[in-house]
Amino acid sequence: MDEYDDDATARAGEFGSRQMAGFKPFYQFIAPTRVIAGYDLIGGIGFEFAKEGAKRVLIVTDQVLRETGLVDRVIAGVEDGGLEVAGIVDGVPQDSDAGVVMRTAEAGHEHGADSILAVGGGSVMDTAKVANVIFVHGGDPRGWEGYFGLPRDDDGQGRPQELAPLACIPTTAGTGSEVSFVAVVKDRDAHVKFQIGDIPMYPRLALLDPESTRTLPVKLAASTGMDAMTHAIEGYVSSEWNPHSDAYAMAALRLLRDNLHRAFEHPADDEARGNMLIAANLAIQPTSSSAIGIAHSMSHACGAHCDVPHGVANAINLPWVIEFNAAGGDEIAARYRDVNDVFGLETGGSAEAVGHALGEHVRQLVASLGLPTRLSQVGVTEASIDLLVDGAMGDACTLVNPRDTSEEEFAELYRLAL
Amino acid sequence: MAYFKDEQELYQYIGRLFQDLAADEELAPKFKKANTIVQYRYRNPDAQITTKLIEGEEGQVDLGPTELVHEVLMTMEADTAHNFWLGKVNITVALARGQMKAKGPVAKILKLVPLVKPVFPRYKKLLSDAGREDLIIP
Repeated sequence: MDEYDDDATARAGEFGSRQMAGFKPFYQFIAPTRVIAGYDLIGGIGFEFAKEGAKRVLIVTDQVLRETGLVDRVIAGVEDGGLEVAGIVDGVPQDSDAGVVMRTAEAGHEHGADSILAVGGGSVMDTAKVANVIFVHGGDPRGWEGYFGLPRDDDGQGRPQELAPLACIPTTAGTGSEVSFVAVVKDRDAHVKFQIGDIPMYPRLALLDPESTRTLPVKLAASTGMDAMTHAIEGYVSSEWNPHSDAYAMAALRLLRDNLHRAFEHPADDEARGNMLIAANLAIQPTSSSAIGIAHSMSHACGAHCDVPHGVANAINLPWVIEFNAAGGDEIAARYRDVNDVFGLETGGSAEAVGHALGEHVRQLVASLGLPTRLSQVGVTEASIDLLVDGAMGDACTLVNPRDTSEEEFAELYRLAL
Repeated sequence: MAYFKDEQELYQYIGRLFQDLAADEELAPKFKKANTIVQYRYRNPDAQITTKLIEGEEGQVDLGPTELVHEVLMTMEADTAHNFWLGKVNITVALARGQMKAKGPVAKILKLVPLVKPVFPRYKKLLSDAGREDLIIP
């Protein structure tokens, strides 16, 4: 490392520092996925995917979606664009695992596919993303666990080697996986969810059409919408905030404010559902800068140990985390004041008051969406807390929370949410 | 110019710190909660430290070649490691910039990160006691 880099390392912030305002010494923002949004796009998926180099497409989806007829319309769209459907994997479960990923990658080879099209929610899209890694580089999913570990040219220092073209048609408005570089997959033997993330895993194309969420059950619309809300709020207040991710988070929050409840109350409202797809898509973008927080740390552990659906866990944990973080100092509270402004809430007063106003707003929203408001309602018990704390402490999201969080504080947060 | 002139010097300071931590009655049991074997590979100078952190087992720190099979691999410049132990490196930024690369179940060692904060003064003292104030960046 040369002298300049030494200086840069030091400027990039000392260990555990939380710079919540001013000019940041370093950040990275990545948004390489081509996004197409609007009405009646599914029939044109082949036309669009061809521009990304696809010719023989492996479609990855789940049984429920297949039965709705959506996948048939996707197949027609693929073929209308002059592409071939090489094969279909329609057995992705709600909580996908390494075995499903391996079978998906094998299907790609068996059918002679050269590209992958994911039609589904987070589990389907993450399965397709990791299957793409195995399809191109071989190995097994856990062997690729970690960040920025995919093969690169020039002895590992150069350009990351490309994966096969991947397109995503999200059928929930929450995870934003269609434009993120990370995938989460379960290792059922080890009872853990593990993450793989690297730049080539960004899908090449994301197609956002409200037709794809037309059959989405309202409860799922509510919980996935709260996942998007959590991405946007945590992304905005994370220690890794930056002006680029701020712009995405704020636009997402305004769309969520205007459309989440509307889409829940009026499931046939295409405009509201379309805007929710866009909100979720925008809300995930701060994670390209690692901007996220401990509501996610807590919820990942709830999912791994107690099988709590991710959006539901976020909906329950988020308000407690907001109150905890906002009380961590004026600089952190200032970020929450901006969020409160979007929702028309109190922006003045003490740090605690700002956090409480937003926390209460989120609690009321969660209740109005008919979602559980307590972890005890979704199978978490006092006896689980030690395991959950252990999981949350080891979660990457904990490192980028605006406020340092100890084991004792995690335990207290879980008890508050219980 | 790199802080350490050769691998022996790196082992003398960073290696010694790992050995001290492994023998620390208060900290070692907490680090062993990671239940993993981590290998740190350094460049400029090239060096390798492998640590066994497994609950209920004796801690082990191997400087150089090892028979331990690592589960997590961390690679970085030796200077980055030195700066880290001085408390000067934001891990998130270091990972994003490629200054640190992590492979394997990284979550197992991320839970150790909050524990290392109190270790920074110990590293400074180790350098100071060895008469190497020149390595302590203000």
